[in-house]
Amino acid sequence: MNKKWLSGILIAALAVSAFSACGGSASTESSSSSEPASSSSQQEESASQEESAAEASSQAEEPSALPETFVLGLDASFPPMGFMDQNNNIIGVDIDLAKAVCEKLGMEFEAKPIDWDAKEMELNSDKISCIWNGLTIQEGFDEIYEMTPAYMDNEQVIVVMESSDIQSKEDLADKIVAAQKDSSGLAALQKDEIYSSIQGGAAKEYGNYVEALTDLEIGRCDAVVMDSIVANYYINANAKAMRVLDDKMASEQYGIAFKKGNTELRDAVWGALQELEAEGKVAEISLQWFNKEDMIQIG
Amino acid sequence: MTTSEILATTQALLQGLGTVITLFVVVMVASLPLGFLLTMLARCRIAPIRWLVNAYIYIMRGTPLMLQLFFIYYGLPFVNDFFKMALRSAMVCALLGFSLNYAAYFAEIFRGGLLSVDKGQYEACQVLGLNRVQTTLYAVLPQMFRVALPSITNESITLVKDTALVFSISIMEVLYYAKAAVSRTGSILPYAIAFLIYLALNSLLQLFFNWLEKKTAY
Repeated sequence: MNKKWLSGILIAALAVSAFSACGGSASTESSSSSEPASSSSQQEESASQEESAAEASSQAEEPSALPETFVLGLDASFPPMGFMDQNNNIIGVDIDLAKAVCEKLGMEFEAKPIDWDAKEMELNSDKISCIWNGLTIQEGFDEIYEMTPAYMDNEQVIVVMESSDIQSKEDLADKIVAAQKDSSGLAALQKDEIYSSIQGGAAKEYGNYVEALTDLEIGRCDAVVMDSIVANYYINANAKAMRVLDDKMASEQYGIAFKKGNTELRDAVWGALQELEAEGKVAEISLQWFNKEDMIQIG
Repeated sequence: MTTSEILATTQALLQGLGTVITLFVVVMVASLPLGFLLTMLARCRIAPIRWLVNAYIYIMRGTPLMLQLFFIYYGLPFVNDFFKMALRSAMVCALLGFSLNYAAYFAEIFRGGLLSVDKGQYEACQVLGLNRVQTTLYAVLPQMFRVALPSITNESITLVKDTALVFSISIMEVLYYAKAAVSRTGSILPYAIAFLIYLALNSLLQLFFNWLEKKTAY
């Protein structure tokens, strides 16, 4: 009995595998059949330069129309700019701003959490329309993105435990100082003159700031350099026994990044933000999240 | 964290359960037969087919699954419009990547099972007058399956845990929701909840395979 039952399963398995083999060959056929089509279109292009120029210009015009759906790419663990509430709804300052912009421009809004390490790939493969998530404007960004002007000021601050003996930036000498990898906080720390005198001569890098702050609590590091906006929110919202030093590492600004070449969408979004500021909507959002009307400045 | 917060967080994490289960079921259903087909093709009399299959297994096992997912999700759509259309959905990419990858492992597991079948079994079948197909179906495969089962159990448990990789191509699952909850609450308790969810899933799986092993024992 057992053997019959087993052979039944295996025959079914064989049948399915034969099926999947068919599916596989069919898909390779159709992909190879589309290949000559694309190569012939290339020949046409090279045959007539005018034609190819016309094609290129029509291609360039394509992204000029605003997308139906505005897909905002974010690392949904960056409160208060963009994060998840208890029901996994994505909320935050940037989300409220973007929703208002979409309403104005008649686009459907979608927030898409992405792996922050893969943000350039997401943008370049058109899987997201922009990166809008407390993104610090850094040197060289103009070469890889179409950046908006700054909409918010931010500082890189030093967070220590309440009980720590660290009072100023100079006290960081011979201490273990941490930062989020690939962050502007890390960049600011590395540029600072104190960097060479911290323990080990290098920052301890973490995958995200929560891990760094957790290790600060445990005592595996002595100080964390990070965004003031996020640090203040984290300490207040979670009632942590931590404090922010008066000494700052750097002053910087948040901007919105669009795909290189897509100035059309960037300018439309920025224009909408300017209108929203004139209407007082921006101040309203600022008041709601920061209890201050002037945190967000559309320049 | 209060009890109500823990309950709410657990609920939030469980929203990722559908992704984990879908991935698990589809990948198992696709990769087991595909793996079996690969095992058979690796024993094919035509040498180039053997080489091709072995090269496939070599590449799939020799590179990180995460890079394979990256390649399928971000890379292939640039190749031509067919891929661009077919691979629009991240979930399709994940299912494809996982199935192709796990098929390579299953192929090797089945190969190990086949090696365990004694030469005497084939000879006995010949003496009994069974033909090739009968020999394979009634003597070789049942014995192979029984030997392969513990390794299949092992692979499927790994699969449940590997589903956490899909966030690299922006699909949200249990571990991602746990990370989001950690950054919201500033407590690492959501990780403990995720821990228990994965353990519960694998406990069910373990029970099923224990039952199957008993069922196939002879």
